[in-house]
Amino acid sequence: MEKQKVRFEFVTFTGERQEVEGMTGDTVMQVAYDNGVEGVAAECGGSMSCGTCHVFLDEASFDRIDAPSEGEVDMLDIVASERRPTSRLSCQIKLEENFTGAKVMIPEMQY
Amino acid sequence: MTQAQLQHSDIPAGVPMHDAGERFHPFEHEGMHQLLAEFRQDVPIFYSPLIDYWVVTRRADVISVLRDHERFSAVVATQPVVPWPPELLQYLVDQGFTNESVQVACDPPRHTRIRSHVQGFLNPKKLQSFEAEVRALVQSYVAAINGKDTVDLVDAITYELPALIAFLLLGVKDIDPRRIKSWTELRVKLMHGHPTREEQMAAADDLLDFWRFSCDLVEQRKVNPGDDYPSWLLASRGGDDTRLTENEIKSLTFALLLAAHETTSNASANVLLELLRRPEDWQALVEDPSLIPNTVEEGLRYVSSVVAWRRMAKEDFELAGVSLPKGTKLLLSLASASRDEGTYENGDNFDIRRKNARSHVAFGNGIHFCMGAPIARMQIRMMIEELTSAFPNMTLIPDEEIEIAGVLTFRGPTRLPVRLNG
Repeated sequence: MEKQKVRFEFVTFTGERQEVEGMTGDTVMQVAYDNGVEGVAAECGGSMSCGTCHVFLDEASFDRIDAPSEGEVDMLDIVASERRPTSRLSCQIKLEENFTGAKVMIPEMQY
Repeated sequence: MTQAQLQHSDIPAGVPMHDAGERFHPFEHEGMHQLLAEFRQDVPIFYSPLIDYWVVTRRADVISVLRDHERFSAVVATQPVVPWPPELLQYLVDQGFTNESVQVACDPPRHTRIRSHVQGFLNPKKLQSFEAEVRALVQSYVAAINGKDTVDLVDAITYELPALIAFLLLGVKDIDPRRIKSWTELRVKLMHGHPTREEQMAAADDLLDFWRFSCDLVEQRKVNPGDDYPSWLLASRGGDDTRLTENEIKSLTFALLLAAHETTSNASANVLLELLRRPEDWQALVEDPSLIPNTVEEGLRYVSSVVAWRRMAKEDFELAGVSLPKGTKLLLSLASASRDEGTYENGDNFDIRRKNARSHVAFGNGIHFCMGAPIARMQIRMMIEELTSAFPNMTLIPDEEIEIAGVLTFRGPTRLPVRLNG
């Protein structure tokens, strides 16, 4: 299937917004890396070993996309900033068209 | 702009890049941080003729290479710096040494496949479940020195203890940790040191014994599985070679028997040495143990036990303003990156209250990020907690020479003589 562009935005802890564009199949973490988004440490580069790419989604987007795996839910137990109902690891969210318009909020700290 | 690719012979004598290559002695740890601090200012990359590697000194460049596993291969990560003689290789093959690259020195997709199995056991949650056992082990080692006047902390604690914690993961109970430690030192020297040919040849039988020990462990778990790493891998394999082979499991076990303790022994001794050199810091931790977790991070930043890690370019590339060809070997100086003034104010100062200490690269970055980091952090923290609590007045014995044993990639003191009660 041909890759599609997906636009969404990051919102920093202090409320600054940054609109970004990724391709379907990319992870939210990769888009953060590629756009120099601060605050997504992602020490382990997406191999689900560190819990430092924690983000919060807006509720609607959280509900719209695939649910986190069991491994991701386990990792979310150990994130540094308070876990919320819409917490995700950004390395585990693969962009699909339904992510368009999502708000990805970056927590105060990753460790 | 396309630059002509640089050959190291093109670098004229007298320019800072050439000068750095001449002055850098990759196996000498005395003065290394000071030298790197100087290079970091003007020389983000230079060629080291002694090892035929390009050395990268700045944090942003180090991280960009570690994250770019598409262009930079890990296959050289544990390659012997001094190539093994063909006779040694042949002898090892003849004797059934079938160890293969499974983690640090392999690339996707193989790395991804294997890591997905390993992840099921070496993940932060599982590692946290060992907390009570790790605490008990640390306490038993600290209790064993109680009542003494002077002690060498390396000999009494940091050398052995991490090996016993590795044994917890492996479900091993009945082997002398010193045996594993001496096998490990041998392997480290063969990979990252500069042994003579005689030393290489003499090491063969010990290396084989270490390999066979790992193989036997896996064979035993096939018959009597437990709640341990090799048993987990065997279950995860499910008898399917396309998922994971038995030889890969043996190689993973062989790898853990080194990786799970070698760097932690050095890292814990490194941070203890820095603390003991600064009695006011020791006292601060005695009075406020909540500073200890950040102290662990500052120790890992300021004096990482892994001083450098290796990569090889899979294609032509440009880094730090220099164009280099495919096949170029890079020595990423983690020791330098973690003190980079671009990220760390007064990076060459040890500051247990430093706010961004944790952003060091001692555990790497990207897909090869250390999977044992949570348990390494845990045991270093507990060692400091138990030692500051039991010996609030501990001091370094003055005028005792502290030798830093070093190979290309690792560093740590060989001894740490202290007076336990000041």
